[in-house]
Amino acid sequence: MISESILTGENVRLRPVQESDLPHFQRWLADEELRRWIGSVEDQPTMEEEFDWYLGRRQDPESVLWTIETNGGVLLGTTELRLSPPNRRAEVGISVLDRTHWGHGYGTEAMRLVLEYAFDELELIRVELTTDAANARAIRSYEKCGFIREGLMRNHRVFAGVVGDTLMMAILREDWLAAR
Amino acid sequence: MTIAPDVRIDGDIVRLRLRRDADLPLFVRWYNDPDVRHWLHMSEAGEQTVETERQRWELTRHDPTRITFVIETKDGVAVGNVGLIAIEEAHGRAELGVSIGDKDYWNRGYGTDAIRALLGFAFETMGLRRVELITDHDNDRGLRCYEKCGFVREGVLRANRLRYGKPLDMVVMSVLREDWQA
Repeated sequence: MISESILTGENVRLRPVQESDLPHFQRWLADEELRRWIGSVEDQPTMEEEFDWYLGRRQDPESVLWTIETNGGVLLGTTELRLSPPNRRAEVGISVLDRTHWGHGYGTEAMRLVLEYAFDELELIRVELTTDAANARAIRSYEKCGFIREGLMRNHRVFAGVVGDTLMMAILREDWLAAR
Repeated sequence: MTIAPDVRIDGDIVRLRLRRDADLPLFVRWYNDPDVRHWLHMSEAGEQTVETERQRWELTRHDPTRITFVIETKDGVAVGNVGLIAIEEAHGRAELGVSIGDKDYWNRGYGTDAIRALLGFAFETMGLRRVELITDHDNDRGLRCYEKCGFVREGVLRANRLRYGKPLDMVVMSVLREDWQA
């Protein structure tokens, strides 16, 4: 589903994804390095594929999707919670798609907003993620948010014919509350 | 990949055949044994009926990212099931699930033999590079069996599921094709 909640931080906010965001997302996904870190998008999607992705998410009750933008309204990327309601758990994904905005802490701040929503609003007990084990910048950001490394899945991903490892990380409700 | 509906995979003491509609009562009987259900996500569901099981089966049977086999003894007695979910051909990987639903057949090597047979199929016929699984951290019998089959521990997911409403850690394990062939 497309979240109706607008979450506002110091520099960024999360708002519902709009159809007018999609051409920007699609254009940014031409960037091969970006796609490598996302891991699940081998080739740049067509506009039609991008729209199908949006419709799929909109209809999926176990997905909560937002657009990330600066408080000034500059589009940055997307973030998503994929829920497992019987286990009070979610997997989070986050992408600052516009690389001219990498390195400013926007992703870290957006992640904190998502975690606050996951633990305070949804009352989850665990939020997990997986990431390319070579993605040092992302891992640093996740650790800043309180994620802990839980394991390494060997030869778990293939991008452009190259096999790589995937890191598993998670933050528990009790870690989140203790860090307050 | 498409798998022939009459595929048979032979182990030393078991053979695997694809799950079919007529197996519904069998799965219901297995899942309604609390000792079997204890180790499955099913632990949180109530008593199952042919109708609840049919609904689950209808949702998943045409899903191309899953295959479910029934484990039979060489005499044709169905003792449990083993399968692959989250099959990702682009990444050459899948997740394995196994359950011996008939407790009379626990601790007799049927699960180990069924897993070994399925791994052979996964690596050699399907061409996967990696088969992973996730299990309750206190499932000593399962962990021993998976290690015997070549699975290596890769991590512990804290509070990854609820069992009887309480958070439970789970172990992630995998076996790679190169380890399997060695």
